Amino acid sequence: MNNIPGKITMSEWSEIFNSLPEKIIERYCYYNNNEWGRYLQPPATFFVYGARELKRLKFDNSLAALRMWGFVFNESERLFRAKQSGKKVIATCGDLGTVPVIIMGFPDCIPFYPECIWWTPFFNESNVLLEPAHQLGAPEAACFSKAALGAFYKRAYFPKPDLIFASTGASCDDYSCVLQLIEGLGYEIEWLEIPYRRGFDYPERFVKYLTNEYERVYKKMKNLTNFDKPEQLAETIKKINRLRLRVEEIKALVYNADISPLPALELMVIEFGNLYGYADIDEWLDIVDMIYETVKQRVAAHQGVLSPDAVPVAWITPSADPYLLNLIEDYGMRVVETEYVINQALVKIEEAIEPFTALAKSFMKASLIGSTRERIARIQKAVAAGRIKGIIITNMLGASHCAMETGLIGYYLRDVPSITIDVPAPSGITEQIKNRLMAFAETLRQGYYE
Amino acid sequence: MNDILNARERFGLLVIDEKPDRCNIIPLITSHAAMVNKTRLRDYYTDGEIMARAQIAAIEEYGHDAISIFSEVGIIAEAMGSKFDYPDDDLPILRTPALSRQSIGEIKIPEPENDGRLPIYLDAINYAYRAVGDRIPILAYIPAPFTTGMMLSEPENFLIQTIREPDRVKEIMDKALDAAIKFSYEIINAGALPMIVDPLASSSVISPRIFKEFVLPYERRLINFLHRYDLDIILHICGETGPILDILPETGADLISLDQVDLKKAINSLSKRMRIIGNFDTSELAMMMPGEISQAVKHMVAQAKNSTKGYIAATGCEVPIRTPRENIKAFIKSAKEAGWYWE
Repeated sequence: MNNIPGKITMSEWSEIFNSLPEKIIERYCYYNNNEWGRYLQPPATFFVYGARELKRLKFDNSLAALRMWGFVFNESERLFRAKQSGKKVIATCGDLGTVPVIIMGFPDCIPFYPECIWWTPFFNESNVLLEPAHQLGAPEAACFSKAALGAFYKRAYFPKPDLIFASTGASCDDYSCVLQLIEGLGYEIEWLEIPYRRGFDYPERFVKYLTNEYERVYKKMKNLTNFDKPEQLAETIKKINRLRLRVEEIKALVYNADISPLPALELMVIEFGNLYGYADIDEWLDIVDMIYETVKQRVAAHQGVLSPDAVPVAWITPSADPYLLNLIEDYGMRVVETEYVINQALVKIEEAIEPFTALAKSFMKASLIGSTRERIARIQKAVAAGRIKGIIITNMLGASHCAMETGLIGYYLRDVPSITIDVPAPSGITEQIKNRLMAFAETLRQGYYE
Repeated sequence: MNDILNARERFGLLVIDEKPDRCNIIPLITSHAAMVNKTRLRDYYTDGEIMARAQIAAIEEYGHDAISIFSEVGIIAEAMGSKFDYPDDDLPILRTPALSRQSIGEIKIPEPENDGRLPIYLDAINYAYRAVGDRIPILAYIPAPFTTGMMLSEPENFLIQTIREPDRVKEIMDKALDAAIKFSYEIINAGALPMIVDPLASSSVISPRIFKEFVLPYERRLINFLHRYDLDIILHICGETGPILDILPETGADLISLDQVDLKKAINSLSKRMRIIGNFDTSELAMMMPGEISQAVKHMVAQAKNSTKGYIAATGCEVPIRTPRENIKAFIKSAKEAGWYWE
């Protein structure tokens, strides 16, 4: 393989893949199953199975990244295989990062996030999941998380979950409505309520309340599995912390390197892996370790995938369309800070206190349950430190937090230029959007705002 | 019952051992699509966009579950130097095999983007993939090395050489294999699933011994290459396959498309190791009345739909070009009714 870091196309990955020795392809299997668990495949494999956007995306050219993409794109199959091999598949919706920790404490239980399927219509450049969602009552103007409704209806993207947990309360309204429509299809949902945080000095009773909610999740799982070892949760928390720490290390290396050693798209996928490890947490940990080693080596060698003069920007709210992350790099920007509404999945969970309380306390850092100012505190620090030249905000049509927050985010971060992109429907990125991004990059580069 | 899934979702579930809403239905509608689209056959196989549009028109007309990019088995041999005539209203006909003019050493491995009609197939895949690739799998039929070998030679001579000059045949096969691999690679990168067709490896043409020596190793190597990509590979062999049923799993194919064989026997023999595709008699499809077809299809699907590793309702071979449309509609309608799985 080529050791010079870079971004390559799907076809270029196929060429490299052709020369990979068989023993490397055989090495990587999910659930340690060599019969159906192999996942080291080039993007072209998933292109054949309908992921049409892959032809225009560019990917990191490391083996670690290839492994990551193969693993992530295999998730749907992995969930079916989990069920076929006797594991329990548990849907955990809405809280983004905490309930799965409880689920992973039970043997052979696999948590996953149905709403994370919102990326699928974009990778497939297709309305196949969105159209049935519209027909089932999610308006066209609702958040793309409605793809989950289409997926629950079709039963072809993940198996019927053994249990469904869904957060409500201080969650995104669109997502919450989508889940109610899913319940209307006949799925039984165990709701848990998450409180709204008014400032970081929230009352202690919030933690107690959440702790009770998490204990309720535990009891449900205990009844499902006949397994009852609360001490296992402490062990799972340690494992999750190891993942979160490793991801923080990768982000720090990427953000602070002279030349960006990893593309923004790959880094977004890594960040979201913190939610649940893409349905095989042990394998995902191993992949993240491999990426860390790759990034570390690149930084040490002063090598990277972007131009050294790429303009540093922060990205706020994840884009449902991965292509946008490619584009901004094509136009000469690099992402050095993010706020992808998953702050709660990035923080270390306390290990020295009672586990449910520790989970509750970690969740109280959540992006969406407090004020906008709290949500972007980290970005503000980076701005103050002069690390960021511009802000990109991607707005999801209909998502309640976007409508409410986008203007405020721009206001609070008014010390740096920002651009807001309303992410259009699949394959809807127009020349106008490209031109706006290009112009934004150019003005940042020329320093017109300074 | 109305379909819940689209064809891509349905095929996706099949290949991971899950039951879809109903069984996949993929009669081998290839050049017949030209009739549906009211296209001259010669235009169908010499213009990729027309081929794709005809295939899409057929899907819209019948509602089956895959696009079939294919016209005839000579495409790789042609790109390697064999000459074909292009009748207006018939499929290409082998005029001069490459090996009647050149030595094996002079035969070149074709560049799929430039040589023969391979670029036409790639154009067709590109067009169909852009148009319907999110909803419908695109199958690109690839002639297997043995079939291509025969199209590079005088077919009768080639068969005689398997006995008298086996090394020469293997030399030809090596080249045909390289060409098939190279073409498959481009097909994958264009977005289609390669489907290997080896009609001339049928037991109607060669013995099981010849199959083992000259067909099996090359099919296996081609499939091994495709398996590196973790693709689910269909192998289609026309005609009689009863005598080689037990050998077929050794090819490594994930799905086996069968023609003239007792379906029950094939299921008993293969269904724990391969997904079964087949095998409605194409002469009956062309000649029988729609009502008779419905009854026979229902019987076939009922017999096979619960095969251990899954089943695709299909014809045993290509749908004859001038098959009445009502007959194909009857096939698909009754296969949908009989092949429903979900409650």
